[in-house]
Amino acid sequence: MLESIVSYGLAVGAVYALIGITYNVMFSASRVFSFTAGMLGMLGGVLGALFITKFGLPVIVGLVLVLACGALLGIVTEILTVRPVLKSIEQHLYVLSTLAFALMVQQLTAIEWGTEAQPFPRLIPIGPGWLDQQFWLPMLACAVTIVGLELLYRKTLIGRAFLAIAEDSYAARALGLPETRLRMASFALAGMIGTLAGFTGAEMLLAFFGNQSILNFYGFVPVALGGMGSNRGAVIGGLALGLFQQAANFLVGGIFAAVAVFVVFIIVLLLRPEGLAGAATARRV
Amino acid sequence: MSISRRQILAGSAVSAAALASGFPAPAIAQSEPIKIGYLPALTGPSSSTGVGINRGTQLAVELINKEGGIKGRKIELISRDTQSDPTKAVNAVAELTQRAKVSMIFGPLNSGEALAATPLIARDKVPMLHPCWVDELIDVKKYPMAFRIAPTNTQVGAGANYYVVDVLKLKKVAVISDTTGYGTASVNTYVPMLKAKGAEVVYQNHIDAANPDLKPELLRMQAAGAQAIMPWSVNAGFLSRICNTRGAMGWDVPIVGQTTLGSGQTKALLEKPEYWNKVYSNNFRQVCYANGKLPPRAQEFVDRLKAAKIGFGDTLLWWVALGWDGGTIMADIFKNAGTKNDDVVAYMNKVKGWPGIYGTVTWTPEQHNGFPDSEVVMCEVNSLKDGAFNLAPGYSA
Repeated sequence: MLESIVSYGLAVGAVYALIGITYNVMFSASRVFSFTAGMLGMLGGVLGALFITKFGLPVIVGLVLVLACGALLGIVTEILTVRPVLKSIEQHLYVLSTLAFALMVQQLTAIEWGTEAQPFPRLIPIGPGWLDQQFWLPMLACAVTIVGLELLYRKTLIGRAFLAIAEDSYAARALGLPETRLRMASFALAGMIGTLAGFTGAEMLLAFFGNQSILNFYGFVPVALGGMGSNRGAVIGGLALGLFQQAANFLVGGIFAAVAVFVVFIIVLLLRPEGLAGAATARRV
Repeated sequence: MSISRRQILAGSAVSAAALASGFPAPAIAQSEPIKIGYLPALTGPSSSTGVGINRGTQLAVELINKEGGIKGRKIELISRDTQSDPTKAVNAVAELTQRAKVSMIFGPLNSGEALAATPLIARDKVPMLHPCWVDELIDVKKYPMAFRIAPTNTQVGAGANYYVVDVLKLKKVAVISDTTGYGTASVNTYVPMLKAKGAEVVYQNHIDAANPDLKPELLRMQAAGAQAIMPWSVNAGFLSRICNTRGAMGWDVPIVGQTTLGSGQTKALLEKPEYWNKVYSNNFRQVCYANGKLPPRAQEFVDRLKAAKIGFGDTLLWWVALGWDGGTIMADIFKNAGTKNDDVVAYMNKVKGWPGIYGTVTWTPEQHNGFPDSEVVMCEVNSLKDGAFNLAPGYSA
């Protein structure tokens, strides 16, 4: 039982964490909470199965194409749904525009791909148990992503420019940083992270258009738990969510497992509204 | 020459009297086609069934027309693709009953669309024939012109329960479903039926179909002493995970349930082909192999389809047979009762033992569910050949 809780819990938690990071990367650059994160996760699985199983492309080529599609979708999201509403951000129109875009893509996927779950290929034929890719691949992707983001933000000029935009976009613009291009780049980066989450988790979650809403919600939970904008918080929150969800599956089972997750989520937010890793914001008086 | 108001009124009265007294209709009415409204879902998420049924219906109508039609009148099948969308089905009903003035409607072919369309067809007083399983779709008081040529959900559940309890002689059963309306309603209906048959439901639960790991559920079933798993869901991902988990656990209990268990989508998601062993899904006796042979009527039908170069590579025999039965039974009805709605319904109320390929149909004024309990059986899902399955082990041929 413990092995199953840990293996499935960490694997599914890593997918949630990656979706949480996708939310964060988009949010940091734009202050827009884009509801396209679940869509990117869903497409990671569907496009991966399409390129590798249906088109018969090599795994590496399939992965590169999936990431490229993710980057492209990120840019399209920024141009179509974020940029036009940034001027009136206090009205929260971006909630509708990003959600509408995500739903449109989901419906197109349902029409073109089908509404039944389809298999995702086993990329590395080793296993069973812990060696099965469905368990370690999402965790590996999560580790690579978090290390990569740390290196990007700390060691590169463009990474520091991302941080500057996230910290204070007005000051960054005053310093001459190209805010629009940096925002587009961060949406492209988020697109790649989101599709990577779906790609690496698809053997477990299958290539299924319905994964969008699940990933949208369960990917949001680690962001709320870990604190908005905190990637480390998202990873800790995601893994904790996965482990707790799987433990609840064993302990209470059925739909009560989902209820248990929501109850804990609400309790945590009541106790720490800023998230477990977030800092309490000072209120201007 | 001026025409007075009195002359017009007199003329109208004569015309009305002629119509009311059954004044001989113009000869053209005797040769004009018999219009049948047809509502298959040929596209959209529920279309695989519709495409299969459509193949049989079109073939039946084509052959009937080729052989001269019904007393010299051709059948005109006015087909409207519902796109698996109840709204589209409702719009098509209005067109077919009010503008096209069809003599009967065959369909919708999916329960979701039929639930929306049936009250409207009843309101427009047009006879209706459909193959949908939801029990509430047939009610002789609310929908006196609606008839069913397929089993009800209750019959389907009873067929599975009969197989587990009376054929396999298993008494301890785990009954689960996904959290959809269909899944939860099925469990809530079938569990009392199982208990009434003397079975002990040792585990019962509704499970989120998106849950990727069903091992906890199956471990609980195993710990409860379940001898069979009965999952009620149309979600291929959920059903394949049950088969995969059972296989990975090495737990040798039968899985008995809905037809999706035997679908190609479920098969595609299996980790190993052998995980489909000892999985039994609903099917229908007239279109199943018994000792390697189809019943004579079905075999003759398959030969006819092969001659017409209609294959089963992408569909199932029972879907095509159901469509064929729909087309041919409507032709029989019009041949014997004409096309007046009241005459059609009066005739349908007396149909007894109509020998279809898919099933034997009997209706009475009190019972418009035409499919016999005895023809709802279970089949071996891993035995698919030419669109049909073997009867599950334990049935007599």
